[in-house]
Order: sequence, then C-alpha cells, then structure tokens
Amino acid sequence: MAGGGDPKWQKDAADQNFDYMFKLLIIGNSSVGKTSFLFRYADDSFTSAFVSTVGIDFKVKTVFRHDKRVKLQIWDTAGQERYRTITTAYYRGAMGFILMYDVTNEESFNSVQDWVTQIKTYSWDNAQVILVGNKCDMEDQRVISFERGRQLADQLGVEFFETSAKENVNVKAVFERLVDIICDKMSESLDSDPTLVGAGQKGQRLTDQPQGTPNANCNC
Amino acid sequence: MDFQSHNNTSGNKFVCPSDRQLALRAKLRAGWSSSKTNEPLRPDEQAAIISVIRRNEEIETAERQRVGRLVERVEKIKQRAVEGGPNCCRLCGDTFGLLRSTRIICEDCKKSVCAKCSVDINIRYHTSDRTREIWLCRICSETREMWKKSGAWFFKGLPNYDAPSSTNSTPTHQSASGGAMSDVLLPPRGAQSCNNTPTRNVRVKKLTIHVDDSSSSEEDTNGGGGGGGDVVDGAISAVCAVAPLTTARTPNRNSFNADVSPPAATRMQREDSFRLRTFGSIRSFIDSGERKLSNSFFANRQSSRTESNQQDYDTISTASTVTSVNNRRESNCNYTRRSSVSSSWSISGESSSGNSANTSNHVPNHNQVNLHCRELLGWLEVAVSYRESVHSLDCVMVRARDLPAMDAAGLTDPYCKVNIVTPDGMTKYSRWLRTKTVHKTRNPEFNETLQFVGVEPEELGGSSLYVAIFDDDKYGHDYLGGAKISLSPVHNTNQYRISVPLGGEDRFSNEAEMSQEWPHGKILISLCYNTKRRALVVNVKQCINLIPMDNNGSSDPFVKLQLKPDSHKNKKYKTGVKWRTLNPIYREEFYFESSPHDLNKQTLYITVWDKDIGKSNDFLGSLVIGYNSKGERLQQWLDCIKLPDHFHEKWHCLSGEHPTH
Repeated sequence: MAGGGDPKWQKDAADQNFDYMFKLLIIGNSSVGKTSFLFRYADDSFTSAFVSTVGIDFKVKTVFRHDKRVKLQIWDTAGQERYRTITTAYYRGAMGFILMYDVTNEESFNSVQDWVTQIKTYSWDNAQVILVGNKCDMEDQRVISFERGRQLADQLGVEFFETSAKENVNVKAVFERLVDIICDKMSESLDSDPTLVGAGQKGQRLTDQPQGTPNANCNC
Repeated sequence: MDFQSHNNTSGNKFVCPSDRQLALRAKLRAGWSSSKTNEPLRPDEQAAIISVIRRNEEIETAERQRVGRLVERVEKIKQRAVEGGPNCCRLCGDTFGLLRSTRIICEDCKKSVCAKCSVDINIRYHTSDRTREIWLCRICSETREMWKKSGAWFFKGLPNYDAPSSTNSTPTHQSASGGAMSDVLLPPRGAQSCNNTPTRNVRVKKLTIHVDDSSSSEEDTNGGGGGGGDVVDGAISAVCAVAPLTTARTPNRNSFNADVSPPAATRMQREDSFRLRTFGSIRSFIDSGERKLSNSFFANRQSSRTESNQQDYDTISTASTVTSVNNRRESNCNYTRRSSVSSSWSISGESSSGNSANTSNHVPNHNQVNLHCRELLGWLEVAVSYRESVHSLDCVMVRARDLPAMDAAGLTDPYCKVNIVTPDGMTKYSRWLRTKTVHKTRNPEFNETLQFVGVEPEELGGSSLYVAIFDDDKYGHDYLGGAKISLSPVHNTNQYRISVPLGGEDRFSNEAEMSQEWPHGKILISLCYNTKRRALVVNVKQCINLIPMDNNGSSDPFVKLQLKPDSHKNKKYKTGVKWRTLNPIYREEFYFESSPHDLNKQTLYITVWDKDIGKSNDFLGSLVIGYNSKGERLQQWLDCIKLPDHFHEKWHCLSGEHPTH
C-alpha cells in the first residue's frame, strides 16, 4: 500500500516509455522477507518492523537491460494462507517468480516444494523461477546452509541466490537475473520457433494436430 | 493435483504456525491465528486490497492501450504495403533482377521480399548462433517485435487491447465507487477468477466491436482465399476447447455471487479448490502438447468473466481476434520500402534503378511505384510560350519544389533536361536541352528559358513537353523526377504557366538519361559488408566503354582501390591487367577491414588505369563512393552498411577527374 500516493511510484507507473513489460511475483512463506526484499529493490529502503502484507501489493520499476527498457510490475504477495485465493489469482499473469525462503527458518525452506507445486498449478508453463534464500545476513541464526539451498535449486532446476534485504546483498542481482532469463526465454520462444508467431498460426498448427483431441472435451 | 489433495484434507498445509514472526505477531494481539483460515477479510483489509486492485487497473488500462498502439503500428505497416506480382517484392513492389534487388524469402511468411524490406534477425537480435541466416520481411519482424513487447510471446496469444482510437475506459472508476466484494476480491485481469462486474462487460463489449471491425476489414484486404475460412475454423475450435470449462464453471460462480459479503473466505476456499481442478485439466491439455489450446485458453481467460448469456458471443469474437491476427500476420507481408532504409533516403530509392545502360525493360513495373510516390518527388513549375513568327517554343523552367534529397546533408544539385515529345511518342530532338545546375538545394529557382526552334503551330496540339530533372554529380547524374506537359493549351494563350507534380522514371526519362555523355565509361562495382570477417568486400566486376589510350585504339586497364581514412592499415589493392580491351571483366574481390561504424566516415577511391610498360600509367577514370557521395553512390554505400552480408551491385559512371586524395 505504501506506494499509493508516492510521486515516484506515480511517475514510474505512468511511464509509457518502455519496450517490454514483465510481471514478476514474489512468493514464499509468511515473514521470509518478501516485502522487505521488494522495498529494498524498488525504493532502496529497509525496515525491520514486520507488517504483514494484506493480500497483495505491487510496485513498478523500469530497468534498462540489453538496450531495452523493461518495465517490471513486481507483485508482493501475502504469505499467509488466508489470502491464498487472492494471491494465486495473480500467478497466471506472472512471467517470473521469486520463490523466497528464510535461511533462519527451517519451515519456510521445507515449504519450497509446496510453493513450486503452487506455481506449477497456477502459472503459465513457461514462467521462470528463481529460488532465493533471504536474511543471509543473520549468520548466527542460520539453519539452512547455502549448500542445502543450492542443492534444492538444482533439484528443482532453477537458479539460486542467497540475499539480504537488510544488507542489500544480491537483491538487484536476483531481479536482473530474472529479467535476463525472461529475455532469453522470449528470444528463444520467438526466434527459435518462428511458427509461434508466423506461418504456423494460420492453421498449420490447428490442422496438424489430431482433430479428435480437442473435440474429445467438447460437446459440440 | 498433489497439492489439491493436500489442500482439501488439511487446509493449513501452506501456513507455518510455528513461523517465528507469525507466532510473535499472534502474541501481539494482532487479531488472528493461523489456525483460523476461514476468517473473512476485515473491512480495512478489503479496502487495502481494493486500493491495490485499483492501482493495478490503471496499469492494465495503460497496458491495453499500449498493446493497442503496438497492434495498430503493425496494421499500418501492412496497410501501406504494395501487393505486387510474384516477381517483385511484396512490400515495396520492387522487381527482382540482375541490377535490381535480390530476392529474399521471409522465414515466417515464406514470401519473396527485397533486401531492403527484410531484416536479418541474427543481426537484429544479436544471437550467438550466426551459422544460419534468418531473414524476415519487415511485417513479420515487426510482428515478432509486437509479440515481444505486448507479452503475447509468453501467453501465446495477443492480450486484450484497446484500440488507440477508443476512449479511455472510465468504468474503472465506476466500479471503484461500487466497491462490491465480488468485484474487489477477484483480481481484474491476468487471473483466473470470474469477474462479473459491469465494468468488465462494458469493456469486453467495446473490444468486441473493435474486433469485428478488424476482422471484417481483414477479409476485405485478403480478398477471399483461405484467410476467412481460417478465422472461422480457429474461432470454432477455440470455442470448443473453452466450452467445457465455462459451463462447468457457471454454477460455482453463481453461488459465489449469491452472497458477496463476509463468509467470503470459505467461499474463496471452495473456489480455490474448484479452480484447482479446472486448471489441472487445462494443464494436462497444455502439457499434452496442444499448443493451440493455450491460445484458445487465452481467449477463455478473457471472456469467461462475462455474463453467461453473452459468453458465447464474446468467446467467439475474442478467439477470432487471436486467429485473425495470426492470419493477417502471414497473409500480406507488404511494406513500402520507404522507411526501411532511411527516411531521407527512401524517395530516391524509387528512382534509382535505371542509371545503367541496360534498363529499358523495367519500365512497366515502375509505373506502379510511381503512382505511389508521385507527390513525394516534388513539383515543377514551368511557363511556356510560342512565338509563331519565328516558330519558336520558349520554355521557362521556373522552379522546382521538394525534390528528393541526394546527399547525406539532404540536398540536391538539380538541373533540367527538356525535350518535346511528338504525338507518335518520339522525342523530337536528338539533343536534349538542359538548364544550368542550381547547387545545394531541393527547391531550385531555375528561371532559365530554353528555346526550341522549328516547332510548327500545328505540332503543338498533340505534342507535349518532357522535363526530366537530374542531380548533377561528378560520378553520374541521378534522376530526380520528370513531368510530361501537354502543349495543346499553349498556342491560344500568351504564356502558359503550369505547376505539375513530378513522376518517376519512364521511357523518356531513360532516354534523357541515355543522352548524358559519359566519355570515360562505366564500372560495375559490388559492395558487401561481411560481418564475419568484419570487412568491406569490394568486388570489381567489369568496366565498359573505357577510353582508348594506346596507339592500337585500345587500353590495358586495371583498377586500383583504396579506402580512406583507414584506421585498419588496409593495403591499396589493384586488380590484374586486362590486355587490349575497353570492356574488361575482372570479378575480383578485395577485403578492406573496417567496422560498420567506421564505414559511415569512409570513402572508397577507385581509379582505372591503362598499364603502360616503360612509361607511367595513364589515368582512365575514377569513381569515389562513400559516406559523402551522392545519389546512387551514397545509396549503395548506405545499403551496404545497413544490410550487411549482402552484395549491393551498381553501375557507376567514371569521371575523368583524378580524385584528390
């Protein structure tokens, strides 16, 4: 809610001078630091006071990447179950996910697999995911080693970062990497598969596949 | 699926009751405990969520308009396209041939386009794999850009958009004042929930109208063929795929709407699990590799939020947007060459190709192009009077306006060549009269009288005056535009003053061009910037009509080449000597290391020499081609930079002046 009357937000949100618009979603258990992470990135601010996000919030930031202006609409979701209906509703529009756990919280790490299932269930199949272990500044309370995080990421086939919103460690890197991955995916999807946009769409694709399959689920 | 069962049996799976901060928060009488997941949202929470959704609506509205502009941009390019025959570029209508554009097949639409109307995406997208050249016509490359910029690449279909002409959708604010729970809790777009607000309906209707327009115009332009059928097919199959989802969804939505206030959380829970099932099935569709479905699903995503009685209609229309847009994408890959090379340059492109000696057979194809750019070649004002006593026709070339630019500074050095065309379509005089050159202007004031003597009064009726305007340059005179003015009104008025638009090349302009004298002969040069070797490749092909320097009436010509200024320490090159000929054929290639950036500041000096043994070589002619050249030379140079890895071949006249290095 914090961005509502903020002139900077107004400026960024209203700015139409950009090439691409990516919608990103930050998910993870409650209190892993999603909101702090977003505030650090978007406003470069940090507060250790915990205010639970109500449902959903977003911030807009325009970045410059590969000679292209990319407008990021970054959704910050509530980690709490009671808002789940609202938050999952936004999964389908998201091109990238930042899946966050708290390195000082075993439970949040154990939930990662469930969040991945959520992503798989609700998002588009080509959505990109980055696993982030937050609060890496709190070394004394750490319960999840870097290695465990990395192994899980390997297992899930996603990239991995350890970050600290408080100390501003790797925050920017995560977003930049995610934008890069999405950009790569974009070039790949169109350039390596011209049929997606071009000739294939006119009917080749429609006729190529077995006619029975779509109709099997259709009463007409 | 796995998740679903968890969710149904134990709804707390994703809550972390032991979460440190949460536990703290619970102690701090924050008002809820994680075990009560069904607790409804409090008014303040609702308000908070409403405000976020409202902010998002603004972004969504802007985004729809942005996508609408992107779509319109591509549509405009398509509309400007010229549909030529099979032997000419579908975009600009330029014909393919030896001295003309090379034919390129667009990767996406598989249609022939010329080099200027196509883009090598290896260059454009900077991919590492350069082993295969992928060429796209301008429309297909723009369409790809549109897919990237609109996010359609991700959703495998164009998102909802507002046409730029349509007014901003104020309903957003309407719904805001209502603030009904169903409106608020369910995200507006990019989400799966059913949104039943009046707002949504209004917008979808608006979209529908727009869609109908565009698809009908699509059929008009397509002129039948398979295009229309495809639209229908696509729409029907999309609806088929959508149908089970939407019908299955309706009861749930109704119950959801029945009571909108507090125990909504339970409802949401139910909705949640329901949605899981729905999207699980969609997922399996997508996973089974039916990519079409993702397309139609996208349509569903947009339209399933509308009222059920309107649903079928909307689904069809939205689905047809997707498919018809796709159709259009492949249908006419047309594009005028105007903006493809450089804006200031483009016009001369139309008039460029006839400079060489062997161009007479291109005339018919040009008429088409000429119509297209008639007004762009400028205007000519002439005043004609006839003195019957001396049988003299006095033609005053008054001025010309808005001539095409010929050099990098956007200027031209125009002069006129004038002749009389007799009723049987022949030029009356073998020698064309010419005005003086007015330097460095596109709006020359000639104010020069050219006198044709021996014109009989009865001749005037069917004859016309032909004026061709050329750009004066050391290395060839480029055609700027021409006009044919009927002389029939002349004899009954004192002075006949008229302002006429200049047209493209035709038979007479070619004749005027042929009347130019080029005593030093011509040279055929092919240029290519090779991106792999990062070098300018100069292919010296041949020369014709060189001047004889030796006593035997012939010469022993060879060509010397030098690129200046040169930061890469390239050598000066020379071709082999062709003995005893005035029309030598070399076909020799030379590589000058350079970068495209440097080429913008470089000039290639080509000199032709007669090899003499025992005394110094004789100079036969020169050609200077580079960034500060004019007309055809400049165009070839720019083409070479802008379209690398392609040979750009042109005939040029040789000058008798030795270029001062």
